[in-house]
Amino acid sequence: MDKETLKQKILEVMQKKAGSGGKSKIYLKDLQREIPEANPRDIKNAANELVREGKLEYFSTGSTVMYGLPGVGMGLEAGVEKPKEE
Amino acid sequence: MGEVKKHDTPMMDELKSGPWPSFVDDIYNYAEKHKKQACFDILGQMELSYKNKETHWKHGGIVGVFGYGGGVIGRYSDQQDKFPAIWAFHTVRVNQPAAKWYHSSALRKLCDLWDHRGSGIMNLHGSTGDIILLGTVTEQLEYIFYDLTHQLKMDLGGSGSNLRTPECCMGMSRCEWSCIDTQDITYELTMHFQDELHRPAFPYKFKIKVSGCPNDCVAAIARADFSIIGTWRDDIKIDQEAVRAYVAGELKPNAGAHSDRDWGPFDIKKEVIDLCPTKCMFWDEGQKKLYINNKECNRCMHCINVMPEALRPGDDRGAVILMGAKAPILEGAQLSTVIVPFMRLEPPYDNLKNLLYKVWDYWMENGKNRERLGETIQRVGLNRFIVDVLGLKPLPQHVKEPRSNPYIFWKEEEVEGGWTRDVAEFRKRHPA
Repeated sequence: MDKETLKQKILEVMQKKAGSGGKSKIYLKDLQREIPEANPRDIKNAANELVREGKLEYFSTGSTVMYGLPGVGMGLEAGVEKPKEE
Repeated sequence: MGEVKKHDTPMMDELKSGPWPSFVDDIYNYAEKHKKQACFDILGQMELSYKNKETHWKHGGIVGVFGYGGGVIGRYSDQQDKFPAIWAFHTVRVNQPAAKWYHSSALRKLCDLWDHRGSGIMNLHGSTGDIILLGTVTEQLEYIFYDLTHQLKMDLGGSGSNLRTPECCMGMSRCEWSCIDTQDITYELTMHFQDELHRPAFPYKFKIKVSGCPNDCVAAIARADFSIIGTWRDDIKIDQEAVRAYVAGELKPNAGAHSDRDWGPFDIKKEVIDLCPTKCMFWDEGQKKLYINNKECNRCMHCINVMPEALRPGDDRGAVILMGAKAPILEGAQLSTVIVPFMRLEPPYDNLKNLLYKVWDYWMENGKNRERLGETIQRVGLNRFIVDVLGLKPLPQHVKEPRSNPYIFWKEEEVEGGWTRDVAEFRKRHPA
């Protein structure tokens, strides 16, 4: 599978997961499980490239990292708003 | 800068009364000198946490700067009205130099950077080994990253499901026991695995720690998924003259480390020979000579620690590779277990890197979400991990004691005649 097809596939998986009212953030492992025909390391590289292109975003708890679609589910600022300065 | 407001913190203030310098003093001194509201707020929130007996931090979200999947840990206060200066208080992990040697000017620059762009509070070093810069807001992150990389020539460390910043003891830079060049190995691994360090690749965290000798000053055996510990294969070098000097009281045991109290005269039998875990040492009182049965020695370092001038590690040096240590989340804490009893480590360390790739390929494919390598090994079985995954041979060194933890199990095809062979027939030929 070439890189572009793999990237497309990753986006499809992400949209499918998020679309059905499901998860907006998923582990790399889940991506790898959904695309068993590709090498896990290639999936990692493709997903990281998608992040650089702005089509995916990271979400980290500090101990582990998940992938999400920008604008779907909780954003990077985790529902926290900066207090307005008076 | 506007007025700063100090919160009422009776419980925090009580911490100042102990015998040691207190972080409360430090933070207040700094906050007052630099008029930093964030520092007052953080102590205010901590007081509240002490009172409510629960945390007021939320974390998750921010992961790093553009293109990085780690290095920043997002942290927010859930008491934003009370403590607005710490509404966001992100942690930045900075990759420390190998063995943590700094030029004072680098530290000064780092402090200036953090005074300017952060809360001013930092922690050298976190248990991963990184420099931890505590408390900044999202808008500052890219500037911090730019300043770190362009002015200080430092980089962010690992967090999340990344390779965490590799760490090592001071190794050959100061310690004469170091059997491997820990700093070089750490530097080489850090540079070689930049992608793994900055971009999440794994089911969970992965730590590499390098200790120069079995004293294991960075606790690699307790904390690293992949522990590299220096060791030697030949005999401990003995200077009999120096041994006699220790026995006669001319040299201080442990290089004088316990000289604050009078422990009485040095007793080689009580303090060295009897404490040897494998009982492989003998002190001949008549001949005044020390004998070591090196075949039995398990390199615990005790005798070398007690008599550093008399005993030294041998010359045939390399490292033992252990895997699987972790803290207790699932199943309880685990120490690393020996996988490769001896590996010679010379630049560019291709043997080490190949082993790492093998482990990662398997773990990336078979590890579950948030499963450390140690847990994967436990799940598939150490025997299968060693034999099937890594393609290594089971060795006596994999077993702590014969017949007490026999985790090397045979597969049917490895046994002559399989499971169905006639044992009575076999015993006819081999009666004992």
